[in-house]
Amino acid sequence: MASEIVRNLRKDIHVEARSRTALNLTLSFSVTVTLAISLASAGARMSPGTLSILLWIVLFFSAMNGLSHIFVREEERRTETFLRLYSSYEAIYLSKLLFNVAFMCIIETAILPLFIFFLQIDVIHSAHFIAAAAAGGLAISSAATILAAMVARAGGRGSLFTVISFPVMMPVIWVAINATTISLDPKAHPSWNPCFFLLAFSGFIVAMSFLLFRFVWLDE
Amino acid sequence: MKWFDRITHSIHILMPLAIIMAFLWAPPADILGESSRILYFHVPLAWVAVFAFAVSGVLSILYLSSKNETKRDTFDAYAHHSAVLGLLFTLMAVITGSIWARISWGSFWNWDPRETSIVIVLLIYLAYLSLRAVIPEPNRKGRIGAAYLIIAMSVVPFFVFLVPRIYESLHPDTIINAERTVHLAPQMRATLIVSVCAFTALYGRLLFLQGRVSSLAQRIEEIYDE
Repeated sequence: MASEIVRNLRKDIHVEARSRTALNLTLSFSVTVTLAISLASAGARMSPGTLSILLWIVLFFSAMNGLSHIFVREEERRTETFLRLYSSYEAIYLSKLLFNVAFMCIIETAILPLFIFFLQIDVIHSAHFIAAAAAGGLAISSAATILAAMVARAGGRGSLFTVISFPVMMPVIWVAINATTISLDPKAHPSWNPCFFLLAFSGFIVAMSFLLFRFVWLDE
Repeated sequence: MKWFDRITHSIHILMPLAIIMAFLWAPPADILGESSRILYFHVPLAWVAVFAFAVSGVLSILYLSSKNETKRDTFDAYAHHSAVLGLLFTLMAVITGSIWARISWGSFWNWDPRETSIVIVLLIYLAYLSLRAVIPEPNRKGRIGAAYLIIAMSVVPFFVFLVPRIYESLHPDTIINAERTVHLAPQMRATLIVSVCAFTALYGRLLFLQGRVSSLAQRIEEIYDE
């Protein structure tokens, strides 16, 4: 199965590298929103809580712009039947999950420095800040993969992905906002517990998705 | 399903009994006074909502694991009806809770962790209805809907049980609390138990009736097709 996963992943990277639709769109969206927030705040100093909320709103909606493409593209280009014949459903799910995790990493790598630079953020506990962003990103991409498959099979209607994802991802956003707030607050004593929660959530949702993917992906 | 029909008929005794006990038998609470009687409707509604969502999740698992076509259709229909009923009971729990919040805390909505949680649970199941509505093909609708209900069932405990215990809440201590004791007078406790049973029976009755209506609608469709 490992070779199947690598083959599918390579195919997805090639397709994305050729068009760069999802990546360009997501990065443009996230940079625009970050700059819009910076311009609107006009250099005003914001509390760690407000900054964390804004950061995770930007990350969440950027993810919503990009993470569904991985499955919706297959339906739009009518390649899903070929993919079903060519690869096992387990390999398809795992390769798409890995692609989404990598995609989220790229978004975060682009957004976090911009956000820190334009909103003049002092990161007090940098290890906790990076861990919260990484664990939060992993949890979002884990939950988004199965939901993206559902949306693609439902016809890939635009706003449906955000509508079904937001409430399911709310625990992730809630905990990630708290963890980020603590990492930016000089008076707070940071803890690794929120990061452990986010990692546990990711593990749980990946296990559930792995079991359910067959029913979403195959027409039995 | 005859046994289920018979059990749910207990609603005809339990609901009038719960209403009489709530308004005439149970004493008013010490500080909250007469307004505390809303407890006998708000708490059971919230309990039945969570129960209905759990039932929809379990029926979805049965739907996905069953091989029998007729049984699968029944599980799918009942899972969907249970989710819809859960949504209805959640909405009623929010309305009764808001009335109680206005009397106790001075405003209808306070963004208390428990209030926030219930709104997110509402959003999850509204999203489920949106997802189901856009899929035209019945078999795919059933499978994707069931997968979403299972994911929803696994996320709901976070909002219902975890959040109110982690974050400070304006809500009174929960019935199932850290001390594992019920902070209610015996008469109030008995009324609450009867009320929970009455609303559970109401949910069962509504689920049964909805199931019958949908199977009759399916029969009519089949007759038209013939």
